[in-house]
Amino acid sequence: MSPPASPNPDRSRGRRVLGTHDLILVVLLAIEVAVFSSYVDTFRTVENGFEVLRYSVVVGLLALVMTPVIVTGGIDLSVGSLLGLSAVVLGRTWRDLGVPIYLAAVVTVGVGLLAGGLNGLFITRLRIPPLIVTLATFSLFRGLAEGLSPGTSTFPPLPEAFTFLGQGYVFGIIPTQLLLFPFAVVGVWLLLHRTAIGRAWYAIGFSAEAARYAGIPVERRLLLAYVLAGGAAGLAGVIYVSHLGEIKANSGTGYELTAITAVVLGGTSIFGGRGGVPGTLLAVVAIVVLQRGLRMADKPAEWSGILTGLLLLAAVGANQVATKLADRRTIKG
Amino acid sequence: MTPLLNLSAICKSFHGVAALEGVSFDLRAGEVHALVGENGAGKSTLIKVVTGAHRPDAGTLEVSGRVVAHNDPVAARALGIAAIYQQPALFADLSVAENIALGLERGGAWRWIDWRGRRARARSLLARIGADIDPDAEVRSLAMPEQQLVEIARALGADAKILVMDEPTASLTEREVDNLFRVIRELRLHGVGIVYISHRLDELFQIADRVTVLRDGCTVATRLITEVDHAELIRLMVGREIASVFPKQTVPLGDLVLELRNVGCRASGVNGIHLTVRAGEILGLAGLAGAGRTELARCIFGLTPADQGEIRLRAQAVSIRTPGDAVALGIAYVPEDRRRHGVILEMPVAVNTTLAILPKLTHFGFFDFRRERSLAEMFVQRLGIKTASIDAAVGDLSGGNQQKVALARWLATEPAVLILDEPTQGIDVGAKAEIHRLMGELAGRGLAILMISSELLEILGMSDRIAVLRGGTIVGTLDRADATQEKVLALALGHALSTEATPGRQIQT
Amino acid sequence: MLLLLLAAAAPTFYAGDKPRAILVSCAPLLVLAAGMTVVILVRHIDISIGSQFALCGVAAGLLARAGLPMPAVGVLTVLLGTAFGAVNGGLVAGLNLPSIVVTLATLFILREGLKWYGEGELIKDIPDSFQWFGLGQGVGQWLTVGVGVVVIVVFALGLRYLAAGRMVYAVGSDAEAARLAGIRPKRVVFGAFVLMGSLTGLAALLNSVCFPDVDPKAGEFLELQVIAAVVVGGVAISGGRGTLIGPAFGVLLLATLGPALVFLHVGAHWDKAFQGAIILLAVAVDGLTLGRRKNVATGLAKP
Repeated sequence: MSPPASPNPDRSRGRRVLGTHDLILVVLLAIEVAVFSSYVDTFRTVENGFEVLRYSVVVGLLALVMTPVIVTGGIDLSVGSLLGLSAVVLGRTWRDLGVPIYLAAVVTVGVGLLAGGLNGLFITRLRIPPLIVTLATFSLFRGLAEGLSPGTSTFPPLPEAFTFLGQGYVFGIIPTQLLLFPFAVVGVWLLLHRTAIGRAWYAIGFSAEAARYAGIPVERRLLLAYVLAGGAAGLAGVIYVSHLGEIKANSGTGYELTAITAVVLGGTSIFGGRGGVPGTLLAVVAIVVLQRGLRMADKPAEWSGILTGLLLLAAVGANQVATKLADRRTIKG
Repeated sequence: MTPLLNLSAICKSFHGVAALEGVSFDLRAGEVHALVGENGAGKSTLIKVVTGAHRPDAGTLEVSGRVVAHNDPVAARALGIAAIYQQPALFADLSVAENIALGLERGGAWRWIDWRGRRARARSLLARIGADIDPDAEVRSLAMPEQQLVEIARALGADAKILVMDEPTASLTEREVDNLFRVIRELRLHGVGIVYISHRLDELFQIADRVTVLRDGCTVATRLITEVDHAELIRLMVGREIASVFPKQTVPLGDLVLELRNVGCRASGVNGIHLTVRAGEILGLAGLAGAGRTELARCIFGLTPADQGEIRLRAQAVSIRTPGDAVALGIAYVPEDRRRHGVILEMPVAVNTTLAILPKLTHFGFFDFRRERSLAEMFVQRLGIKTASIDAAVGDLSGGNQQKVALARWLATEPAVLILDEPTQGIDVGAKAEIHRLMGELAGRGLAILMISSELLEILGMSDRIAVLRGGTIVGTLDRADATQEKVLALALGHALSTEATPGRQIQT
Repeated sequence: MLLLLLAAAAPTFYAGDKPRAILVSCAPLLVLAAGMTVVILVRHIDISIGSQFALCGVAAGLLARAGLPMPAVGVLTVLLGTAFGAVNGGLVAGLNLPSIVVTLATLFILREGLKWYGEGELIKDIPDSFQWFGLGQGVGQWLTVGVGVVVIVVFALGLRYLAAGRMVYAVGSDAEAARLAGIRPKRVVFGAFVLMGSLTGLAALLNSVCFPDVDPKAGEFLELQVIAAVVVGGVAISGGRGTLIGPAFGVLLLATLGPALVFLHVGAHWDKAFQGAIILLAVAVDGLTLGRRKNVATGLAKP
């Protein structure tokens, strides 16, 4: 019983980069930074800023590609598990097949794309709801990760050239993976907001049936969204491993929920059709700042989860109230 | 005598648009009171006020002389009001018996369900209207007319004092209509008051006692049915003479554009279709609901691809597997269900306009927003679309303007073949005339047009030739010169011409 | 198809006391599946049950340690679950918020709240009267299984033969049509979430009495397991379609899988992979047959 999506006059989905919702997130972020700076002296330093962003990269990547998926009205619960599978695939191709680690990384991203394709094919060919397909592959991918790295098997230490990707600094201060992230952001932003493919995703999110009647290749566009999500999960797996320096089958457990939370907190409607990359990005940073800030202020880490949950409720609640008020205004006027 | 139902000065508006402006209406026991008016005149809104689905902004509702202050579906049912809605309000996932029961059973949430009783009751109610439907069938599996019959059975079972029927006969066969009328007459004898809405004016003269005409949310007149005739009713509904509605221009016909040779599609029941359309020609597709007209259009447009025969475009055989193929070949389809398929209500006018030409507006991978805006502005001007701006959501526009946006989307593709499915259904007279004028203009520019319509006047007025469908195939083609209402109907119904006195599908205005 | 799979696994394997162990581990899942089926039938979803489950389990342990008699512990635990359900239901039905977002938020809030409170440590030193309700292992186990079965049977009958059960189907099938038929959809949705909460409390109780200590991590990813069982059991995620018989078998199937794999010497670490594959297979078969039915329906029912 999705409530009727009533048109929101305040936000023309034309060319504006930041909407009302995004501005609220900016304010929220400012408050977080202000509060934490007053608690912790070192909070507002450049080093810490970069460190915050380093933590954002993995979850950020997942949230980024989750955005088009949710814009089409779908969902992908499998990205966290796929991250774990990717970590294991990376380790095993490198260790057991004797492939150079960077080539293994490429293979891993390829596996991610394939896994995303599997999701996409079940969703488009068999018309099974995305929630169910990705719930199944949530289990499947994690299971494969566990199955491929039986119990106690250990991996030799990763080459330093590789961990540099996740732990090193460029120019002595910028975390390496942070150089990659902007490319991903710009890529997805352009795709979603500046191309015909992005336009098709929005149309599908509002009404897949109407999009089909407009001659849009609905199935191909949906498939692309899930393949993209898979590939990004693969890449996130590579970065995660290089950051942690370890290969573990349980890598990325629960990340899908954080990614979805970020997307929804960022103003993308879970019913599809509304939202975008800037909101997601702001929400990711807001969540990571919260986590990092609480840790630096020696507050229990759990507060961040609780606060994120409350924020999520507040965000959807405020959205609902705003739409109702807008409706009432038009009735009176 | 106190009237069974009395509405006075009812007002209701949605999002600032007035649907009812001071409507008054009364219903006596044992009468059939017809309610007529054009689409959008406020009939459906009015009956939803009666059944408690909508709450009026102003005005009073009295039942048997008592003012009903707070009406909702539960209260209305307790007052003895039952309704048959235009679009069946049935549960697709549940069985026929349960659908009937859910509208009728009273009592708390914790009572036990008597499945055998439910089935027996459903069976007897269905038998009463002569419908042969299995009570255990899932409603999802029923065809539209059968669903309508289930809806009628459910309303009858309510033993209501006031029965509201909104277009109950829209998709019924004649035999089923006769059965329904027999039941209505029985009910009338038992003192039930019936509010009867229909577009088929002929029916009113058979069944109604009084008639009330609504126009633009106001009551225009209430008369005894014996005091009015067909022409006067139409005049009251439209508020002016209807002669000027169909300005057909004669256009010199060009080359053959679209040709179908023995085309069929098993999945949608279309078979053995032969037809040709030339540049500048308007081919009307007539037929009863369910005759296969929309199915044929969906087949040509690749929504349910043809699996037999050959589709030829400009003398070349083409393969159309998806709507994308059709668009690339220059075929455009403005669908019947505008709100669900024709436009995306939540998206702005500009975005809707370019949805079918996304690849054309892409340069080096990037979308050309400036071109989108200029195109949209151009179409808003050219088609006279009334909108606050091209950034307004299409859902905020009136039906006629929504239809123009749907049309703009397809004109933007610069098609060779334009298929229009019920292009003027549910839009007001003014917008209708504009769309007809536009069709003439487009034909003049060499488009081949296929027009599906259930309005005989529209079919006869606009078409150069008329193909009549029945049972998924074309049963006859008539030239403009010798097409008459009677001939089209005879073909559509499959009757020999002279014997048919009361046509099943009558004039809609 | 599910039955076939079970039967294929069964003959070699249903010997010894394994079945009892599996049934005992199934009991909480059966209880949860009953609630989740109702929630999914009204076209909603609750992904916060894992956190609710963990919290209720911990609460039960703490209450028992505080010296409350066992019946009081049980009632309070179920009431706590009911309260959680009421919060979810209030937000979903009252404020008209999407259930997946609401329960995602409550999942986080409850889970992190519990971690903050207990720091992930086991609740120990619970009096002996807690484990197996103080009835000893044999009786306790059968009681647990009995409760699970009774809940499933009661709910299966209720969904079929109680007016309230039929309202669940009506609202899930078409909320607007239900409103026109005089049903109040918001109340039904609220009720579904409240029931889900109570049953989560009950399930947590059944689970925690199996062990001498209470593990606050007990409920992690439980929601996905339960939803999987319900979906494998043929309940449509789009609401209004399905019964409780399927989900009951879904629970048994998924619970049997782990031990069966061990038995077949595949290794338990492939457990989740097989689980995922089975869910995928089940819905694929369903999708293929349903897809055909849908086409026929649209061919016929086109207005």
